[in-house]
Amino acid sequence: MLESGKIDGKQFTVLVFMFTTGSSFLLAPSMLASEAKQDAWLAAILGVVVGVLLAWLYHSLGNLYSDMTLVEYSEKILGKWIGKAISFLFFTFSFLLAALVLRNMGDFITTQFIPETPIKSIHILFLIIVLMGTRLGLETLARSAEFFFPWFIVLFLLLVIFISPQIELEKIQPILEEGINPVLRSSLLIIGFPFLELVLFLMIFPYVNRPKEAGKALLMGTWMGGVVLIVLTALAILVMGADQTTRNLYPSYYLAQKINIGNFFQRIEAIVAIVWFISIFFKLTICFYVSTLSLAQILNLKEYRMLVLPLVMILIVLSLVSSPNIVYLVSVVLYVWPSYALTFGLFLPLLLLGIAAVRRYV
Amino acid sequence: MIVILGILLIVIVIVLIEVPSLLKKGLKKELWVFGILLFFGTGLNIAQGLQIDIPNPMDWINVVYKPISDFLFGLLR
Repeated sequence: MLESGKIDGKQFTVLVFMFTTGSSFLLAPSMLASEAKQDAWLAAILGVVVGVLLAWLYHSLGNLYSDMTLVEYSEKILGKWIGKAISFLFFTFSFLLAALVLRNMGDFITTQFIPETPIKSIHILFLIIVLMGTRLGLETLARSAEFFFPWFIVLFLLLVIFISPQIELEKIQPILEEGINPVLRSSLLIIGFPFLELVLFLMIFPYVNRPKEAGKALLMGTWMGGVVLIVLTALAILVMGADQTTRNLYPSYYLAQKINIGNFFQRIEAIVAIVWFISIFFKLTICFYVSTLSLAQILNLKEYRMLVLPLVMILIVLSLVSSPNIVYLVSVVLYVWPSYALTFGLFLPLLLLGIAAVRRYV
Repeated sequence: MIVILGILLIVIVIVLIEVPSLLKKGLKKELWVFGILLFFGTGLNIAQGLQIDIPNPMDWINVVYKPISDFLFGLLR
């Protein structure tokens, strides 16, 4: 086994939770409001329901081969070469996702905090801790996620509590003004990002010490992360209205800027930034860890750690190249991502599950 | 020039970190993969540092998947 560490169900839940909230914590509300307007919260709920269904799909595939990763059993199910080819595409998927997540983080810091610092240096700094996390392995990563989880929850609740006095219920009216289609379009966006990306956890599945718990943990984590996204989207719409939510790229961040209690307690947006750094660190590290692990397994290597540094070098360039600017990110990446993610997040697991079932019963 | 030198310096540090332990354990295949990836990464970083245009993989994905996205979102118009 490449990875000797074992994690328990609770840690797996927390990892899934962090991954789901990950970069969507800041980006989801505006992404949803861009199509669904004031019904964004409906789209979020629909997206989460589909997300939980997807988690259930991964859960059944993972349980079928509870001691193997996706790369290992796709080789077993589809034969050596087709399996390896598909696994390689899977590797590119997770690696590209890592680059885009890193880019989201860099974009956020350069637009909100330190606009004159080159984005590359921020990427390098952030990658240093990602690199440490990946080299230390899954067990360390899971334990740190467990440690940060209460912080995440407390800070998130602070945000919810302090912004709630500014809620105006009329902002979500009229409900379903333009019918159901815009809501469906929006939910397609959120299904692609982050829920279809959960397929990455099929690489971590076998390292949960009790396979029975892994599936439940996956469902639980998706569910919890989904609720956070729903609450955030609803708050953004209820407080700022659909228009402002759409126009801000980071509505949750602006939401925290609006907190003002008695002209005394205000400007606590750093809370949101901290919460986001925590969750995006885990998302990025999981993406990167999964890419490294899958590449090592495709090539039948005995170790994965020596791949980390060269891959980080490639990742830095890829993150700069893959989305040249924010307009490209919003208009191209977000638009194409759902169908790209569908290939790996829905069709690949369905294909594997189908062939495995046919083989088992025929 | 400084960019290239800096990148090469980092590459040397990476080699010093990884290669001795790989050699000690006698992991030949791992060493090859490491070398190829590092070579690729160095090339990319130098090209990026010299501001040479690097093709964007997202553009290729866009070519393949845009029709599918058009279809999916078109269904819900």
